[in-house]
Amino acid sequence: MAFNILLVDDSLTVRAVIKKALQLAEVDIGELYEAENGAEALEVLDQHWVDLVFADISMPVMTGEEFVERLHETGAIEELPVVIVSSAGSEPRIQRLKDLGIRDYIHKPFTPEQIREVVDSVMGVSSHD
Amino acid sequence: MTDQTRDAVETTFMEVVEKLTFMFGEHAEKADVAPGTEPWAEARMAFSGDVTGSLAVIVPQQLQPEIASNILGLDSDMLDSAEVLDDALREMLNVVCGHVIRTLAGPGCTFDLVTPENRVLEPAELTKVLEDADTSVYLLDDEPVLMHLTLERD
Repeated sequence: MAFNILLVDDSLTVRAVIKKALQLAEVDIGELYEAENGAEALEVLDQHWVDLVFADISMPVMTGEEFVERLHETGAIEELPVVIVSSAGSEPRIQRLKDLGIRDYIHKPFTPEQIREVVDSVMGVSSHD
Repeated sequence: MTDQTRDAVETTFMEVVEKLTFMFGEHAEKADVAPGTEPWAEARMAFSGDVTGSLAVIVPQQLQPEIASNILGLDSDMLDSAEVLDDALREMLNVVCGHVIRTLAGPGCTFDLVTPENRVLEPAELTKVLEDADTSVYLLDDEPVLMHLTLERD
């Protein structure tokens, strides 16, 4: 099953590394969308069907936390799995984000195996069959 | 910077950079670093919360392609964009900074990271940074790397 995935990070390095990790983890990708901040991500979500979001926390314009808050307010986060990938996560912040509905949190630096495990766990199916 | 803080930063830097870049770090002394004649690249970011301050990583510009290629898993000769090289250095700093803060203040601390910024340091500026007591020096694949940490409470 192919997933449409949205990567939200102001760093092109991080977006490239997650993309590569998804490929190395043999995650079946349909469309891969990219956004540099939460506001751009909301625009992508308005225009395209997305199955899974990987988002950073610290971003200009709209942070990952603000992005998650918006998805929580609209209820969209109940249907749209969001995984935070960041180095800015403390235990209280991660807990707050989980309370708002994120499905998982990955600390940077990460391995392709971690990405695959999270995709399998969050999407509830094996992503690389 | 206290010796305890310096040791914590060094241990964290080595662990995180090895995982992120697959490059091996080792301790070095300031006397091991010669500013030379080529410019150096700096990425610096501020943070605030339970701990407030700033962290900078400073490397010889010729080390940037190796760092970027190792993070991205690409050949360094494919990386000819200064923006890509600077972005990779910012990302290395970003990851190190988050881990350093949690090491110093504990996993329960709260903090915000400000987006890192790059600038070029001429050799004369590097001499000043080396003289600063808040600067630590490491070797990354035998190339010098400087970390400059300032903490408001330290």
